[in-house]
Amino acid sequence: MAIKRQTAQLTAQALRRGCGLALVYAALIFLLPASQATIRAYGLSPLEYRVILFIVGLPSIVAWLAAFIGYAKLREYVSLVRKTPEGPYLDKLATGCAWLAWSLPVTIIISLLISTLGDHQASFYSASIIINNYLGLLWPLVAFSIIGAASRGLVAQAKLKFSLASIRVIMLLFLAAGISYCYLTFQRFDLSSLSSTQNPYFLPIWLMVLSVIIPYLYAWFIGLLAAYEITLFSQRTDGILYRQALRLLVLGLVVIIASSIALQYMNGIQPRIGRLMFGYHLVLASIFRLVGGGGFILLAIGATRLKKIEEI
Amino acid sequence: MPAPANSSIYDQVVRVTHVYLGPAADRFIARQVENHLHKSPDELSQADLLSLIDWIKVVVSLLTEDNELVEEYTNELQKLAGDHAKSKRA
Repeated sequence: MAIKRQTAQLTAQALRRGCGLALVYAALIFLLPASQATIRAYGLSPLEYRVILFIVGLPSIVAWLAAFIGYAKLREYVSLVRKTPEGPYLDKLATGCAWLAWSLPVTIIISLLISTLGDHQASFYSASIIINNYLGLLWPLVAFSIIGAASRGLVAQAKLKFSLASIRVIMLLFLAAGISYCYLTFQRFDLSSLSSTQNPYFLPIWLMVLSVIIPYLYAWFIGLLAAYEITLFSQRTDGILYRQALRLLVLGLVVIIASSIALQYMNGIQPRIGRLMFGYHLVLASIFRLVGGGGFILLAIGATRLKKIEEI
Repeated sequence: MPAPANSSIYDQVVRVTHVYLGPAADRFIARQVENHLHKSPDELSQADLLSLIDWIKVVVSLLTEDNELVEEYTNELQKLAGDHAKSKRA
């Protein structure tokens, strides 16, 4: 009974944190100085700018609340099976999901703070773009690495082997995403000068390749591989009822990974300009965030069903 | 999968349950025996089987709305109980 209460508290605690961060974000929108660049570009009043920024941020808030519920539900389930053979890997999986969940509010809030600073301090503008670009890379990189280690462990523990056809599909997807990403990114660079920072990323191309492009490609490969490994694990696990619940959890995880990669891809090829910009990029970003939020809801439902099997 | 002749009743119930609950089967049956029959899993006897099956039917119905699956599972357990009753009579 005490364990049941303790696990239920995890979701309540995560939801409180998610709501707290949503309040912080809303407060920052209305307290920080309005972006003069956005106001000038669209002829808005400061109040109109703040209201629009808040409305634009709503899908992100919905997505991160769903993400907080999702990772907390997974943690609740993991707390019941920690001592089983799969326990340590599921624990890692929950940690990776927690990193992905926290990456949503943290990057958005820090990005808002840094962009505001860059908007009002011209000397900080390029630094604000660089910091935001690295911030968008760092969290998913850590999350995917942890999720990748977890999925590897689950597959190894169950002694599962990959099929050649699946590996080919993963490689094809990875190559298509990687090559098109490099092509679209390099188009924004002056390729005649390797050290020039006169580009939307404010980084010389060699540094961009080493510290942004390669880590992104690594993260996507790890993410795709993890999605495949976890799917394989869910398909080969015994137990009709157990597998039904696990599949829901895994489907959620695959949707989360895919939407996260799509978001990183889009943010990579469409450089940040440090202010709000209306267009297809904003619409797509909102859609991917909501899809990711949906993935976290599926994850939560799957984890809740698995937890019920362990409690009832 | 046929149960080895020398395995305990508990192991045989877990083996049947594994088809439905996979890696959670052992923990699930141990919990049902402890919570509803107030025994430790290794004390499970043939006399407890029918009562355990009744409890399992109720509990699994809370996990799924697929009545056919619940029937199939409990029928497998009933078969196991029948086999044990026959072997005891023999």
